[in-house]
Amino acid sequence: MSAKILVVAEQEAGAVRDITWELLGLAHKVASEAGWEAGSVKSLVMGKNVDAAAAQIAGRGAAEVIAAESPALENYSCDGCDRVIEAQAKAEAPALILFGHTPNGWDVAPQVAAGLGAPLATECSAVAAPGGKVRFTRKAFNGKFVQELEVGDAPLAIATVQRGAAAPFGGTTQGQVGKVDPGIDAKDLQARFIEVRQGDSGGLDLSQAAVIVSGGRGLGAAEKFSIIRDLAQALGGQVGASRPVTDSGWLPHEHQIGSSGVTVSPKLYVACGISGAIQHLVGMRGSGYIVAINKDPDAPIFGVADVGIVGDLFEIVPALTKAVQDAR
Amino acid sequence: MKTLVLVKQVPNTDSPFRVNAAGTWVDEGNLTYGLNDYDRYALEEALRLKDKGAVTEVVALSVGPERAATALRTCLATGADRAIHVKDDRLASADPLSIARAIAAAIKDEGFSLVFGGLQADDDNHTQIPALTARLLGRPCATAVLKATLGDGVIRVERELENQKVQVVEMTLPAVVAVQTGINEPRYASLKGIMAAKKKEIKTVGLQEIGLDPAQVTASAARFRTVRLAIPPKGKGAEILKGSADEVAKELVKRIREKTGVL
Repeated sequence: MSAKILVVAEQEAGAVRDITWELLGLAHKVASEAGWEAGSVKSLVMGKNVDAAAAQIAGRGAAEVIAAESPALENYSCDGCDRVIEAQAKAEAPALILFGHTPNGWDVAPQVAAGLGAPLATECSAVAAPGGKVRFTRKAFNGKFVQELEVGDAPLAIATVQRGAAAPFGGTTQGQVGKVDPGIDAKDLQARFIEVRQGDSGGLDLSQAAVIVSGGRGLGAAEKFSIIRDLAQALGGQVGASRPVTDSGWLPHEHQIGSSGVTVSPKLYVACGISGAIQHLVGMRGSGYIVAINKDPDAPIFGVADVGIVGDLFEIVPALTKAVQDAR
Repeated sequence: MKTLVLVKQVPNTDSPFRVNAAGTWVDEGNLTYGLNDYDRYALEEALRLKDKGAVTEVVALSVGPERAATALRTCLATGADRAIHVKDDRLASADPLSIARAIAAAIKDEGFSLVFGGLQADDDNHTQIPALTARLLGRPCATAVLKATLGDGVIRVERELENQKVQVVEMTLPAVVAVQTGINEPRYASLKGIMAAKKKEIKTVGLQEIGLDPAQVTASAARFRTVRLAIPPKGKGAEILKGSADEVAKELVKRIREKTGVL
């Protein structure tokens, strides 16, 4: 059976990354809505040795796993992966290709889209296909709005899907694994993997903090961070930040919380002047109790907070610091 | 060595955003515009290579309506040598792939060794244009780049991964680099730069000049149609405390004590 949905799996040294299970869950949901058979959900896994990963994927959602093995695919290369995915997409002619919206997913998906002339919807929070008409839900304007996209009569559509958009596939499958030789030679690659290494964290580990007080763009300047430090100190916590703060050099990079920074889950998280871009929310929404202080009542941060105050953080934060000190 | 910087003019983040009457995009009537934040870092990266003498010319390119010329003028004032403005009404509601096709077509005879762009635009958040363009040009691309070092016929980049990891990749030139914010500290235009920019060239081209088929643009746009733009659902939503700063602070301390045991 030819594929209707092709899930591009992610694995690292043989271990399947969690996003893959969510993509398989989403693929089954979409197939069911569209009236496509469950047997039309296939997955492509690439690497140097992917036997174990392919077997797992075949048991957890894919009716067929295409295992593309080559020493040249041991590590991610944008043109190497692009070539393999394009070749398999041409052979299978799916209606939908799903990638995770991960650093490698968003890197290669546009290249596949350009190579195949297909529309691509990125960072999707939902994909639906009532009656076979595929519809993508994603954010626009950094989360101020959600956008719904349709792809008309496109024979193929591609999406990168954000984490948490779907539950992992719950059942079991007895999928087939088919090996393919991708015919990729490492010396032909234009983008060559050198290494993956840990960035410099400066010794700060926010992931273990019980209390975090974070400041965002709303602070306006580096020196204004003193009110955040004072509150963090009063609460016995650490200082965190959203991306614009560390980009502007108001605080070192290791304070950044979010998808490109550190993921935290303290007992108490206080967000001050942080609007709540999705990249920040994914890094802190696992916190036990979330307090948001922001002047914009429509800020997305209030969507994930337990308690919020709409107002001027320069009045509220010092008042809160004092109230905490009084309560000690 | 010639370097291209892809830029976009986007609404300023503090603009008053409202959904338009059709419910398909924002009402552009009250918006103010500026250079996309990511693109300021892309331009700076190119200008630094020129300052070092590694690059001979920095060209800024934007696909957009009449107003996009202002963003290009900003690039020229900041230090770009010249600019290309791809302007055509038929590109107004184009899909990302058509925009990339327009870019690839506009630069096909330029011979750029390096193309810089921002990881994404602050309006549509597509995160696609540099990588789409790279594939159309048949060249390698790296996204979310936090460091770029030019070597002999190659560029070595550090890509940002999750959990503060970085992936080091070496690409054969010509190559496309989509930068992450924070890669450098972008400069601002000087008064001298602003004066000098008045004499610099912005070449304006339409679909016909670059040889792009309008029918292909229309067909491609129909396969990437926004059917709805809306304020996101609030989720469970926060309980909003009201009162003076001192009142809400006292109330918050009570909640924190009850719910977290921190105090």
